[in-house]
Amino acid sequence: MTHLTDPELVARVAQGDEHAFLMLYDRHAGRVHALTLRILDDPMLAEEATQDTFLKLWSRARLYLSERGSLLLWLLTIARRTALDRLRMESRRPALSDSKDPEDLWQIIPDLNTMSEEARWRSLHFAVQSLQPDHRQVIELAYYQGLSQSEIAEVLGWPLGTVKTRVRAAMEHLRSKWNAE
Amino acid sequence: MARDEHSFMRENIPAYALGALDAEDIRALEVHLQTCEACRAELSSYRQLSDSLLTAIPPKQPSAALRKRLQGRLPSAQKTTRPRVTWSLSQLAMGTAIALLLLLNLFSLMQMREIQRQQAGLLQQLHTNQFALSMLAYPSTQSFPIAAENLSGSVLLDRERNTVALVMWHLPELSEAQVYQIWLIEPDGQRVSAGLFRSQAGSSYTTEPVYSKRDISSFTGIGVTVEPAQGSQQPTGPGVFRVDF
Repeated sequence: MTHLTDPELVARVAQGDEHAFLMLYDRHAGRVHALTLRILDDPMLAEEATQDTFLKLWSRARLYLSERGSLLLWLLTIARRTALDRLRMESRRPALSDSKDPEDLWQIIPDLNTMSEEARWRSLHFAVQSLQPDHRQVIELAYYQGLSQSEIAEVLGWPLGTVKTRVRAAMEHLRSKWNAE
Repeated sequence: MARDEHSFMRENIPAYALGALDAEDIRALEVHLQTCEACRAELSSYRQLSDSLLTAIPPKQPSAALRKRLQGRLPSAQKTTRPRVTWSLSQLAMGTAIALLLLLNLFSLMQMREIQRQQAGLLQQLHTNQFALSMLAYPSTQSFPIAAENLSGSVLLDRERNTVALVMWHLPELSEAQVYQIWLIEPDGQRVSAGLFRSQAGSSYTTEPVYSKRDISSFTGIGVTVEPAQGSQQPTGPGVFRVDF
């Protein structure tokens, strides 16, 4: 069954195939967990969010449409929403201490020898790394902490206009770097 | 559309794709997107970027325990955690043997109770017979013959001890719905109930003691009628015999 593609495995999961489900878990748990851990910054909460994400895959597999995007993207979208919901439930503000500096979060360099099919996404990782620190910070707070521009302005003590300018500049920079690949 | 408005909306598209646009700006942009193809194309481009941000994080494997927990939530694990009753052939044989033994015990218990009931009945009958026999031994006991169709016997009367005994031969057996009822007869002909009885099964004669709360000498006779199983206040059925003292 290892030769089956993600859409083929999802189709089997939709029929109640537990083995296919566990194969998908083995394929994508690392990515899903990395995202939930990034958002929640707590191993236990992150594992709960990862588990919830895969349980949603189990119960909603028939809703997945391969023509709309990859399964990994579908899973990560669910994982982000699940983790952000949990973050709001816990009423936790983003940590801004030195140890949680968003700059540090991007210093992990992925293994370039694996997942060659994701080279384009990996290049985005380096593009984020190349952002100015204040630009990287707004991307982190907006996308991985679920804060709006007004909330970012409040958390960082910046004028709202400054936040808007930096969000726009960071995204334009990332897009230009990403498209240049 | 004013160029300034379009530029303003377009500037909000990166934040919208990132999910960081504030609620009031979202509504205005979504209205604008419905009529502006250029902005929809711009949004599509930024959406691809934001989607890719999801995968821009190096993978990190969760603990092995998570996989086990997840497996435990799947239907097959739910089924196996429920206690399943499976019977091997030997267990089935053992179960059958135990059930048979229990049935045998139950049957034996019922038989024993039936024997005990019969023994109690025989003992009672023996006491009754001994009672009638002892009455005959008393010199003051009077014996009155019972003269009735297909029935013979005696009424034993001991006025000193205020006791009466009926000894009846060939008393017919009654149905379950009927019973023999004894009546003591007062001088004015009124009847006072003195008990119910059935003929003794398996025996050619029936002995029945009669006890009276009142002085037996105040009665002038005794009789037996056939009545409904629960007895009657006054005689209603056919008379079996009557003896005057």
